[in-house]
Amino acid sequence: MTDAIVTDRLILRRPEARDLDAWTAFFMSPRARFVGGGATTGPGRAWRAFASIIGHWDLRGWGIRVIEDRARGTPLGGVGPFYPADWPEPEMSWTLWSAEAEGRGVAQEAAARMLTHARDDLGWTTAVSYIDPENGRSAALARRLGARIDHDALGPDGDPVEVWRHPLTRKATA
Amino acid sequence: MSVQPTGGTVVEIPTFETARLRLRAPRWDDFDTYVAFLASPRSEGVGGPYTRDEAFPRFCTLIGHWHMRGYGRWLVADRETDAPLGIVGPMFPEGWPEPEIAWSVFDGAEGRGIAHEAALFARAYAYDVLGWATVISCTAPGNTRSEALARRMGAVHDGVCQHPHGPLTVWRHPAPAAVREGAA
Repeated sequence: MTDAIVTDRLILRRPEARDLDAWTAFFMSPRARFVGGGATTGPGRAWRAFASIIGHWDLRGWGIRVIEDRARGTPLGGVGPFYPADWPEPEMSWTLWSAEAEGRGVAQEAAARMLTHARDDLGWTTAVSYIDPENGRSAALARRLGARIDHDALGPDGDPVEVWRHPLTRKATA
Repeated sequence: MSVQPTGGTVVEIPTFETARLRLRAPRWDDFDTYVAFLASPRSEGVGGPYTRDEAFPRFCTLIGHWHMRGYGRWLVADRETDAPLGIVGPMFPEGWPEPEIAWSVFDGAEGRGIAHEAALFARAYAYDVLGWATVISCTAPGNTRSEALARRMGAVHDGVCQHPHGPLTVWRHPAPAAVREGAA
């Protein structure tokens, strides 16, 4: 089994079937419009998207983790390394699944820890986050994490995304 | 793309062998064959054709289904060479009318009874290991080869189900007792 990673307030662990309801509520909401879901998405697509995130783990040996609230045991979002076939390079991704999870530094705490994980445990020497230009909150988090837009880097298959590059080679994460 | 070590699975996808086939977990080195299948007209029965970009999440979903449900479709490989030949097994994604035995055969592997051999195993697995009391298979309109296989397995026409890709013909397989008696 893959070890869970624990931070002050969070448990970062492999997604499981029990996380499906929280994921589905997120993926069928407008919050998911930047990651392939959104208000017009049905439960079937949400299910397949979640299964796909889990399947990525078998192929890569790592993947997106569920951000679990340590105190309450509830899933708050997803965070972690993500690398579909043919992408220019691996990504550090994050999503918060509800408005209630926002505004507490949860995504920052989780993403900072996963950047350290990518560098120290997975051997990454660089990492990017692909962020929709309309997704201001995510861009603000990338900036807080020390990332800057890399205008020379390509996004996946010509998507109109900003490529934010994290300063992974030096101690940049909190 | 290199084969990478897995980080541990929630479900260990079991491997089985039949007379000519190995039913095993899908792997990285099957991906290009899967992409070719989804890009070909052969994938019209499963909503295709799909691009390579669209193939990756589908390939992951194939694996993730196992972790969501505890069962799923195997990559069907040649028992001697381990070459990928198709995808067969029990599946039940969200939105399906009921659990199904599904089969797809990759380009160049048709006409050798591969889907039949694998689907017979999958049906027996569904009945004997998973304990299902009944099971269906769905075929797309005009997919006469798939319809022929359903009939060959003793399945009978049992209505139509609505699917995001369009209506599918539902075939109901013989019950577990009938299969075990060798009636099908």
